[in-house]
Amino acid sequence: MIKLTDIDKTISSKFQKEFILKGINLEIEEGEFVTIMGPSGAGKSTLLNIIGLLDDASAGQYLLGEEDLTSLSDKRKAKMHKEHFGFVFQAYHLIDELTVYENIETPLLYRNVKSSERKSLVAEILDRFGMVAKKDLFPAQLSGGQQQLVGVARAIIGKPSILLADEPTGNLHSAQSKEIMELFQKLNDEGTTIIQVTHSEDNAKYSKRIIELEDGAIVKDYNSQEAQHA
Amino acid sequence: MFKNYLKIALRNLTRNKTFTFLNITGLIVGMVGAMLIGLWVIREVSVDRFHEKGEQIYQAWNRDKVDGEIWCWTSTPKPLAPVLADDFPEIVNYSRYSDAGNLIFKKDNNFLKGNSFFVDSTFLQIFSFPLIEGDINTVLNEPMSVVITEELAQKLFGNDDALNQIVKVENSIELKVTGVLKGLPTVTDFEFEALLPWSLMVQLGYADNSWSNNSVATFLELEKDVDVTALNDKVKNVTKNHSQGSTTEVFLYPLEESYLRDNFVNGKPAGGKIDLVYLFLMIAILIIVIACINFVNLTTARSERRAKEVGIRKLSGAFRGMLISQFLIEAFLLTAFSTIIALILVQLLLPSFNTLIDLELSIPYSQPYFWLGVLVFVVLTGLLAGSYPAFFLSSFKTSQVLKGSFKKIGSHFSPRKILVVSQFTFAIILIASTIIIRQQIKHAQNRTKGYDQSQLIYHNLNDQIEQGFVSFREEALQLKLVQGMSKSMSPITYSTTNSWGMDWEGKDQDNKQLIHRFGTDIKPVELFGLTLVAGRDIDVTKYATDSTAVILNESAAEIMGFDDPIGQTISDGPKYHVVGVVEDFIMGSPFEKVIPLVIESSASWFETFHMKLNPELNTKENIAAIEQLFEKHFPDIPFEYEFVDEAFANQYKEQERFVTLTTLFSSLAVIISCLGLFGLSAFAAEQRSKEIGVRKVLGASVARILILLSSDFLKLILIAIAIATPLTWYLMSEWLQSFEYRTTISAGVFIVASILALGIALLTVIGQTYRTANLNPVKSLKDE
Repeated sequence: MIKLTDIDKTISSKFQKEFILKGINLEIEEGEFVTIMGPSGAGKSTLLNIIGLLDDASAGQYLLGEEDLTSLSDKRKAKMHKEHFGFVFQAYHLIDELTVYENIETPLLYRNVKSSERKSLVAEILDRFGMVAKKDLFPAQLSGGQQQLVGVARAIIGKPSILLADEPTGNLHSAQSKEIMELFQKLNDEGTTIIQVTHSEDNAKYSKRIIELEDGAIVKDYNSQEAQHA
Repeated sequence: MFKNYLKIALRNLTRNKTFTFLNITGLIVGMVGAMLIGLWVIREVSVDRFHEKGEQIYQAWNRDKVDGEIWCWTSTPKPLAPVLADDFPEIVNYSRYSDAGNLIFKKDNNFLKGNSFFVDSTFLQIFSFPLIEGDINTVLNEPMSVVITEELAQKLFGNDDALNQIVKVENSIELKVTGVLKGLPTVTDFEFEALLPWSLMVQLGYADNSWSNNSVATFLELEKDVDVTALNDKVKNVTKNHSQGSTTEVFLYPLEESYLRDNFVNGKPAGGKIDLVYLFLMIAILIIVIACINFVNLTTARSERRAKEVGIRKLSGAFRGMLISQFLIEAFLLTAFSTIIALILVQLLLPSFNTLIDLELSIPYSQPYFWLGVLVFVVLTGLLAGSYPAFFLSSFKTSQVLKGSFKKIGSHFSPRKILVVSQFTFAIILIASTIIIRQQIKHAQNRTKGYDQSQLIYHNLNDQIEQGFVSFREEALQLKLVQGMSKSMSPITYSTTNSWGMDWEGKDQDNKQLIHRFGTDIKPVELFGLTLVAGRDIDVTKYATDSTAVILNESAAEIMGFDDPIGQTISDGPKYHVVGVVEDFIMGSPFEKVIPLVIESSASWFETFHMKLNPELNTKENIAAIEQLFEKHFPDIPFEYEFVDEAFANQYKEQERFVTLTTLFSSLAVIISCLGLFGLSAFAAEQRSKEIGVRKVLGASVARILILLSSDFLKLILIAIAIATPLTWYLMSEWLQSFEYRTTISAGVFIVASILALGIALLTVIGQTYRTANLNPVKSLKDE
């Protein structure tokens, strides 16, 4: 489904070109749960951003299904975001001025979903995440774990086919992390493709495939379950 | 979607109270200033625009070459109007308008003065001054009739019906009230309380037929759609044709232009009050721009806080256009709210503002154009303030803002800095200009007047006073109430009459220099404290021939070119002989050159008398005693005197009003700029709190940090000073050119303005910076 061919990402400073990603070739099938791991500065987030169309590759080709996403206009990108991607961030990135309910509702507004349908969709997801009682609170009134739940709810309410998560539990303690990871697993079971970046071995265990990056290149790509058994 | 925008806008505004307060206050202050100016501009451009026949009404002007330059003026000969109407079928109606003075109206024991004009019977058919009572077609037909305004009617007759009542005018003639006019609208340049029929003027013998006596205004009603250029070609030579040797040409000028564009330079229209209208419109726009700059600066300074929101909305599928409209809606919301508050404030401030500018402005709530104007104003201001932030905020790259790599936008050359510089440039221009205008007024006020204004009062002189004048004067002198008393042509503060027809030996017949007349019946040098440079004072009691004596001022003596002026003969109708020359003194505007003047003796006519009060007596008691004496001699005439020094000071009124307004509006500009600077420095301090923390840990003193933080802003003010100084110098030099007697612009002005701007800016910035500099570094560093 996702096919990256010879992807480079460089930044140019005054005298030299520095590679952040170099020669990435990667295929991810629909329904996979992939974890990208590696030391700081390995290019994990950059890779995730390129997949999520938040960043452009400097060279190479990016195919999503049949569609070539290598260089898109801002408008097309916004359309792809709407149709295919959901994002979860380490810092949650909720809009402070909106309530839980309104934060979750925002993506639906840009999809021109009718008011009555929005209400039922948001109510459904609040119910599923057990946050009905908190719907009128502002992000600052929630704990980190609760904020990240809202973040995930917002990411999936538009029913994206791919969920991208950059250190989703980086700011959470272990019990909260577990809750989020179990939620991811459930979403994956329901068919959502999930790609996460994490440092945590524990979190990685929830995924089926692990890709290890070092200095901008893939050094390992293996099935995590098999690795555990081995 | 709109609801969502509205919600987030409102929450943003209520969350960031300081920001909202600064932003809204700046906008409101700016709007109040702009609206006040707007109301004044509306008033100015509507003067005499309400006459139904407005487009057809023209005024006849004269044009002639004086000193090699073409002069234009509006006083015309009395026979001009009927002759024009007879000769040219394009002219369907005419009315002359001639000042009859402040006449005394008396009903029973009730007497008061009313500003009166002689007009032709057609006056009210041409101009739309509606009658409450009386028939517009006949009110001014009979000579012994008068039309008065409802205010004058109320004062004279109380609640009684004024129509057909008899009122005694100047204690001599009895006139029947044939019409009562609705009070004059505030938007007219006409100032009359009573209209007298032209036929009365004829009956009284004032209506001469001379083509060389330019003494009345001539208004003409033209046929619709007349080709005025062609008509002007035809009327040009009317005066020349009727008055041998005259070189004066006539031209017609539209009434609707007369108020705003009454200035002619060398025969060509050259603005007038319209220049002031443009100037203040510019100030209004500048003030609004400054307020909008605040909005832009404060909004973009806060961009980091909104960047995350932009990123998330983009990820959620928002196109850039949607974000732009969201931010624009926020701007419109703020603008609309500020406009409402500003309107309320303007309503509250209007009475004081009216007192300040001596006009009666009001907000035209009932006019649709007003609401349309408000709407346009909100939209324009909203766009001006909101577009840049909208485009700026919506341009953020999602990946950058969400990854947190998005930091300060500040660089060496950011639009925000340019905006602060332009803001302060405007403010400094306004401050420096205000100082220069003040200096110019002071300069004129300090000018040597050339005569002694102390204890000098004047009073109108009518026929009745003239008859009893000698005995009144004698008794006043006997009682030692006054040191001197003399009839005169006009108050000494201004000359009411002039001529280029005076003749003297050796006069170049092409010389058309205007010589002004003044006249007194006795000892002008002694009474006014003039300084003789040659000859002696006029004194009819000592020298029998002095009834035809004149004194020249130095300017007149120079123009006449006499080696020895004493004994020379000057012909001004009657023949006069020169007995003395006095130093120039200011008669007329203190901003103008001294006028050449001939002070004629008792052979001339008199309309005023001056009294030099006895300085040894208490002024108040003395005046009360004089009033008593006046009442004894002239029981039917109110004693209404004026102090010469006060009347003289009144000539500065217009300039002083101008300076009050510029002071007011420059203060507004400074306040708004400071609000913005305050906000910016607060954000800068907040942004740099970590840097400051590190510096403090490394040993920087509070003073060093204060300098570090303030110098960024002070640099901008210095740039503004560098730009504003030459600009102000240029603009104000141009302005000063309009005065004959003018001050020079000194470097001091700019030093004062610069210190003021720097000082105010420093005060604004220092509070914020001081707080940040004093912050415990542990606090700011822990945040990260």
